[in-house]
Amino acid sequence: MMHRAIAAFVVTTLALFAAPSVAHKAGDSYLTLQINGESLAGQWDVALRDLDLALNLDRNANATIDWGEVRTRHAEIADYTLRRLELKRGSVPCTLRAVEHLIDEHSDGTYAVMKLAGTCPTTSGQISVNYSLLFDIDAQHRGLLKLTSGDSDSVVTSAVFPAENRVQTFSSGAGGGAAQFLTYVADGVKHIAIGLDHILFLIALLLPAVLVRTGKTWTPVTDLRSAFWNVFKVVTAFTIAHSITLSLAALNILQLPSRWVESIIAISVLLTAIDNIWPFLPKQRWRVAFVFGLIHGFGFASVLIDLGLPASALVGSLLGFNLGVEIGQLVLVIVLVPLAYLSRRSWGYSRIALGGGSIAIAAISLGWCIERSFNVQLMPF
Amino acid sequence: MCSIANANGKPYIPVSDSTPLVRLASSASSAREAQADATLRSLLKRNQNNLDVAIRVAQRFVARARSESDPRLLGQAQATLAPWWSLAEPPIPVLLLRATIRQSNHDFSNARRDLEQAVQRDSNNAQAWLTLATVQQVTADFDAATQSCKQLASLVEPLVATACMAVIDGARGRAQSAFEALDSVLATSKVSSSVNPVVRSWALTLQAELAVRLGRESAADRLFRASLAIDPADAYTLAMYADFLIDAGRARDVLSLIPNDTRADILLLRRGVAAKLVDHPESVQIASTLAQRFKASGARGDRLHLREESRFALLIKNAPEEALTLALDNWRVQKEPLDARIALEAAIAANRPKAVNDVMSWIATQQLQGEKINVLVRQVNAQIATQQRAAT
Repeated sequence: MMHRAIAAFVVTTLALFAAPSVAHKAGDSYLTLQINGESLAGQWDVALRDLDLALNLDRNANATIDWGEVRTRHAEIADYTLRRLELKRGSVPCTLRAVEHLIDEHSDGTYAVMKLAGTCPTTSGQISVNYSLLFDIDAQHRGLLKLTSGDSDSVVTSAVFPAENRVQTFSSGAGGGAAQFLTYVADGVKHIAIGLDHILFLIALLLPAVLVRTGKTWTPVTDLRSAFWNVFKVVTAFTIAHSITLSLAALNILQLPSRWVESIIAISVLLTAIDNIWPFLPKQRWRVAFVFGLIHGFGFASVLIDLGLPASALVGSLLGFNLGVEIGQLVLVIVLVPLAYLSRRSWGYSRIALGGGSIAIAAISLGWCIERSFNVQLMPF
Repeated sequence: MCSIANANGKPYIPVSDSTPLVRLASSASSAREAQADATLRSLLKRNQNNLDVAIRVAQRFVARARSESDPRLLGQAQATLAPWWSLAEPPIPVLLLRATIRQSNHDFSNARRDLEQAVQRDSNNAQAWLTLATVQQVTADFDAATQSCKQLASLVEPLVATACMAVIDGARGRAQSAFEALDSVLATSKVSSSVNPVVRSWALTLQAELAVRLGRESAADRLFRASLAIDPADAYTLAMYADFLIDAGRARDVLSLIPNDTRADILLLRRGVAAKLVDHPESVQIASTLAQRFKASGARGDRLHLREESRFALLIKNAPEEALTLALDNWRVQKEPLDARIALEAAIAANRPKAVNDVMSWIATQQLQGEKINVLVRQVNAQIATQQRAAT
């Protein structure tokens, strides 16, 4: 109740008071930004009563702001607000402009809504936001930012800009280091799990690992050791190969058009499957794994680039994503190889699993080859 | 794409140029006041470093923030004082304004530091002593608050000094003597015309609150009305009167006391509680408006509404656990009788009597009085006893 003490006394003397526990909230603006590659999109909601303080919107001084008083001032509103918002990627300034002006209601009143568009001429580097709207008029004003970078499923960052903290930097992508790293690991695993072409390639490579090729026929290996070594050599060669090209592509050193890459990946699956039935590739499977692994690395890279790579965390994300790919691959090996080893002597293995499996894989990959080379949709996956 | 907080729907383009979008609060009660405001602002625009003008403008903003219940105006006052805001020893009027704004933002420790500096530099500054007493009382440092009120006695009219002490006495088991002291000063000041009506209205509200605590319902009702007769739009008095009416089972009266288009959240909350109690169809709409406002405040990182938010959670959302968490967070910041009551009610509803141990011992130490608080203390103790019996 003393809160009012000041209120009362004040009016008589100094005109000071303590507000009774706050009636409204103070002024905020709501800024949403989406960065995707070089392009920027967004929305900025600023309270009309706040804009009125700066731009005197109520021109006819009737204590009401009507749509006409806002509509005719759109250019000024955009100019005034956007001058007080600076965006940079790395050290390069981004551009932003208002492309559409609307109106929306928030809990504390009516807001001017600007749809924003712009570009950042670079796709790497931290995003820094310098927000200085209205602080000179309302020291308790705050900007509430929601920043999305990369694709729709990428991480959203929220930030509050008070007068004391006008410049804030965000790594494009996730928040903290460890969390971000784990996100990329998960992305890697996910990519293997949903990337049927990589899975089928590995299966085609590994099916014969429990067999030995003599001439044109396959015979089961005699011991676990030789099966293990076969698998180990194939997996290691594939891993080393795709890591090399994944790094080269992600670091922007060497890039291939994605349609070629996808087509060649499909061909690699097809050739490996055919080789299981009519051998024509080098007898040492690890060499095949290595050569084709190089092209699969480019395929992984395109996924990683699509995720939006923060330059600040480039190495981390690369390692994380690759680690995820290896984990996914290892799970497949652990499931597949023991089954293959145990059933290697059975009649069904070389006929149904190796023969039938390879024919099926060859058929699917042939479909992909056609789809990807001619850019058509044939199959449901 | 959606904006962060509570856009009610999709952004739109209004139908016509004449569609009204915002009604601006009139910045002054009279045309003359409006003109004075405009003159001051144009003076300040010419020279932002003119201390005298800046202080006058900031004082106007602060006064309007109170009458319009709008914290945006506090931010505008702060912005006006920007050239001096960060100084360690700004001019005393800036120090007082800074303390007042900081106190409104619940930054009590910095507000107190500013005020201690102010009275050290000018021990005859009545405003500084009164504001200091307020900060000390809100944070339950009653001994220091008493000292500040005593310093005030020789500097101001008796009504202000008496009211200063009455607030502290009322919170410390001496509601009866505080009530009587105010009664006699108000009786003598009635004849003297020198007392500002706003001070009188404040003292009447204060006395009404003491009457509520002493269980004198008809006196409380009369005093609230007397205060509102002088200052009918005062949000604090309206809120306290509404609480009194709700407790007295007169929720319907609250619906006529507070208009449905009130801009003040503290009043909208009371109207919402009353509407819910009498099953008024409006209650759903009020509940969703309040929920959006609390969410928006949360998004900007404000923790200024804990008291109201806790009430909202308990009485409108029926979420006692959430209400208790909010009430205890609030208790860490401010410790007025109303804060204690809110904590106890939430704990009882959540059946977690032990969560308010601190509040209970504070009530005992301060000998906080009041019908309502006594009932709540008994209920908490009964719950503790029941839980202990169940445990053994």
